[in-house]
Amino acid sequence: MTPFNRRKDGSSFRDWARVAVQGALDDAGLEAADIDALIVASESDFFTLQLNPAALLADECGLIGVAAKRVEGGGASGHVAVHAGVAEVASSMARRVLVLGVEPSASHLKGADVGALYSLSFDAWTDGMTGIESTSLYALSAQAFMARTGASADDFAAIAVRNRTNAKANPNAHLPLDISVEDVAASPVVASPYRRLDCSPLSDGAAAIILARADDLPARTQDRVRFRAVVSAVDTVRLGERRDPGFFEGKQRAAQRAYSYAGISATDIGLAEVYDSYSGAQLQALEALGLGHGLTLAAERDGVFAANGALPVNLSGGLLGQGAPVGATGVAQVLAAALQLEGRYFGLQAQNVPRFALVDTHGGIATLNAISILEAP
Amino acid sequence: MKYQMNLDYSIPPGDLAPYFEALQDGKALASECNGCGNVAFPARMQCGACCNSDIKWKPLNGTARVLFRTDGGSGSFALVKFDGADTHCTVGLINPERNTTFGKLAAPQGDAPGLWLALAEEKLGERR
Repeated sequence: MTPFNRRKDGSSFRDWARVAVQGALDDAGLEAADIDALIVASESDFFTLQLNPAALLADECGLIGVAAKRVEGGGASGHVAVHAGVAEVASSMARRVLVLGVEPSASHLKGADVGALYSLSFDAWTDGMTGIESTSLYALSAQAFMARTGASADDFAAIAVRNRTNAKANPNAHLPLDISVEDVAASPVVASPYRRLDCSPLSDGAAAIILARADDLPARTQDRVRFRAVVSAVDTVRLGERRDPGFFEGKQRAAQRAYSYAGISATDIGLAEVYDSYSGAQLQALEALGLGHGLTLAAERDGVFAANGALPVNLSGGLLGQGAPVGATGVAQVLAAALQLEGRYFGLQAQNVPRFALVDTHGGIATLNAISILEAP
Repeated sequence: MKYQMNLDYSIPPGDLAPYFEALQDGKALASECNGCGNVAFPARMQCGACCNSDIKWKPLNGTARVLFRTDGGSGSFALVKFDGADTHCTVGLINPERNTTFGKLAAPQGDAPGLWLALAEEKLGERR
C-alpha cells in the first residue's frame, strides 16, 4: 500500500495505483503476467473523473489482457472488492486476483461540494438532497446509541485518542497524533456530539492485495493467511426506518453469519480492524459484532480493545489514524489484519498473534456491511 | 490540469411522484401498506415492514416530534417522528435557533427535494 495522506507532491491516483500494485506483486513473488484478474475498488467517479477505471488501471499497471472489473459499495468498496476476489478464486474463475483500492480525497474541490457528493451515499432523494451529510447522520445514530447505552462523549474521545496513538507506529498513517481526551473535547464541533478529532479524514492513497490458492503461489509465499468467512449484509438505507437507529443491525447480521460460516464464535476473535469512520461508530460496531460479548461499553472502559488488551482493535490506527482513501480503505484493513496474523505487520504488531482476526467495513451508516474472518497460517 | 464541469440534473421520481409533488407544497404524503397497515414517511413503494407492494397514499398533517437533533457547521438536522407515521425520518431544521421538540413540515426551498421541519411551540390540540 502507499502512505495514506493528503498528497502535495503533484502525484495522481494512477501513480499511487502503480506503486500499490507493484508492492503487492513483489510481496507475493509474482509478475504482472501472473495475474489473470483485476478488481478495482473506488467509490466515486466524481473524484477521479475517470469512468471505467478498471480498464484504465489494468493498462496503467501493465496487467495486459486480464479480466477487469470495478466494484463499488460506498465506504465498503474496498472490502466488497476483496470479497469479489475471494469468490473468483473460490469458484476457479481466476487463479490469481489482484484487488486494488484507490481514491483521491479530491481536496482541490470545495469541502462543501465533497460533502454533498458523499451525502449521496445515503438515500440521495431524502437525506442527500436535504443536505444531510455524513457526520450529521452518524451523529444522530450516535445520539441514539448514547441514549440507550449510557456511552459518553468521553468514551468516544478515548477511542479517537487511542487510534491516533496506535497510528504513530504506522509509517503509512495519515494522522499519527499525540492528543488527549481534552484535545478532542476542545476541537471544533462538526455535528454534535462529534468534534473534528472524532472524525476520520479523507485521504489520498491506494492499497493492493493478491488472492490465490496456496498452490498457485511461489513456494516462499505459500504460507499466508486464509479467509475463513467473507460475508456482507445490508440494513435499511434510511436511518429512520431502523428499529433502533443507534444499533448497527445489518452489521450484527453479517457478523453472525460470518461466525457461523467460519465455525467459530465471537470469543475466538483475537484481533480486529473495525470501521471507525467516527469515534463512536467504532463502539457501535464493536457492539454489533459481538466483540464486547454483550458488555461492549464496560469492555471499552476496561481496556479490552487497547493495544495491550485482550482483543486489540485497530492497531493500524483505523480510519481515524491510518486514514481513509475510500476505495482503498477496506483493502488496507484486510492487509493490516493479514500481516498481523502472519507476524510481519509494519506498524504496531500484536503482542500475541491470535489464530483469528476479524475485518469490518461498511458503507452508509452501517448500511452495506462487509466482514471477513481471517485465519493465521 | 484544470477541468470544469457543470451538471444540472433533472431526475424523474417515478412512482414516488405524488410524494414529491406534495412535498414541494409542504404537505406530507405517506405510503400505507394494504397488507400490514404500516405507514411510512418518507413514502416508499414497497412496504419496509412486510415487503408488500400493494400501497396506497395517506396524507399526514405534517406535525412531528424531534427525537434527536444535531447541530454543526453544515446545519442542524434531526431524527423525527411524523404524527401518523410508523417510521422515523431525518429532516433539516429551517429555524434551528428555536429549541423546541415539535415542528411542522416545511416546503423545500428551491426545486430540490428535501425534508425540512419548521420548529414551533406546540399548541393544545395541534397534534390530533
